Amino acid sequence: MTADDFSILLLTLRVAAIATLLILPVGILAAWQLARHRGPGRTLLETLLSLPLVLPPTAVGLLLLEALRKSGPIGQFLDRAGIEVLFTWKAVVLATAVMSFPLLVRPARTAFEEIDPRLLAMGRSLGSGPVSVFRRVALPLAWRGILAGTLLAFSRALGEFGATIMIAGSIPGRTQTMALAIFQRTHIGSDDAAMRLVGVTVVIAFAAVWTTEILTRRRTKRAVA
Amino acid sequence: MRKLLLSLCVLATVPALGAADPKPEILVFGAASLTESLQELGKAYEAKSGTRVIFSFGSSSDLARQIQAGAPADVFFSADTARMDALEKAGLVKASDRHEFLSNSLVIVVPYDSTLKVSTAEDLLNLPRIALADPASVPAGIYAKKWLMGLGLWERIEPKVVPTLDVRSALAAVETGAIPAGIVYRTDAAIAKSARVAFAVSNGPEILYSIAPVAASKSPKAAEGFVLFLAGPDGRAEFTKRGFFVRDAGRP
Repeated sequence: MTADDFSILLLTLRVAAIATLLILPVGILAAWQLARHRGPGRTLLETLLSLPLVLPPTAVGLLLLEALRKSGPIGQFLDRAGIEVLFTWKAVVLATAVMSFPLLVRPARTAFEEIDPRLLAMGRSLGSGPVSVFRRVALPLAWRGILAGTLLAFSRALGEFGATIMIAGSIPGRTQTMALAIFQRTHIGSDDAAMRLVGVTVVIAFAAVWTTEILTRRRTKRAVA
Repeated sequence: MRKLLLSLCVLATVPALGAADPKPEILVFGAASLTESLQELGKAYEAKSGTRVIFSFGSSSDLARQIQAGAPADVFFSADTARMDALEKAGLVKASDRHEFLSNSLVIVVPYDSTLKVSTAEDLLNLPRIALADPASVPAGIYAKKWLMGLGLWERIEPKVVPTLDVRSALAAVETGAIPAGIVYRTDAAIAKSARVAFAVSNGPEILYSIAPVAASKSPKAAEGFVLFLAGPDGRAEFTKRGFFVRDAGRP
């Protein structure tokens, strides 16, 4: 591994971690709300939130690009605030966060839905408010789903390509993550250098899956005990 | 879960601390064909001025599009003048800051061990596929298309074209041996490892590169300094060594 490879790896881990941390609170709340409420609005919202999972990542990227370009609705606001997003590492975080969001929400929602409603009712009857029921009853019971969702989202963030290249480009040292570097190195014919990065990604993927296994297994033991 | 959160927090912050570097930096967007020469010159400029130069290479059209969308580039080095004209029209570079002193020419490359006979432009008609930087937008492809149109061959060659993202990917496609021939710059052929020049285009369209600091640069002094360094004797010597044609008539 060269120094370049290493800094690409660090950048990738860093943006994936930041993106995951950013979507975690929003994603858990969204999953909780979706699990509790029924009605026509819910299906619509659920469909909207899942779109990044189904749309081509480049389509999501283009939508973000249009929204963020200097003349666009959000871009104007950011420009006035002096915040640069497009083609900086922040754009990588944004792209990966949007693309990973549904992967966190879906398993978390399922976990919330599987909670026995009587337990929640019991919490309420014992005098807990809605916040307290969520924090003390729902969250501890839904841990595994949230954990699975978090790791899924993080893994997806590590490999995001399509939306990222649209709004962040592939700038070495700034926005070039592993997935982008593998592509860039291959298309200029540096297959060996690209293959080195592939090796690194295999190691990381292995470690991520391994960690998931260990974490969820411990979870099970504690749940049984 | 707590452990996972903790490790995410560590990942999110630690590398950022490691990356802290007080050295001033400029970001240069350069045409793919300039990769090696600009990297050399970037190192020389860093040694001379203390400003680190980092690069993003790609097709000039893609880079120009990124600058138009607000990418934080300090300098743009385009493989043609049209992309630069577009940025100038959009107010992103100043006409008086532009330097146009670099030229190139086209060649047809084939895989090193190819037995194909490509000694004229007409010979391209016998090939099943030809790798070309996307002629719809990328300068190298646009030049090649112009050349073939001038010869009246374009309409018959167009269906054979395998468009690539930039000129270096056209070269890479030929180097893998998957595509029997490609049209690239002579300077690209010079760095090829497993492709050779089969035919050098002598009557092609005029190829002219254009460089300018980006008006919105946050380090305008360093950006201008690097542009002048490239247009000066050090830059000219390096570009000449790499096979580019350097003109004296460039603006100061």
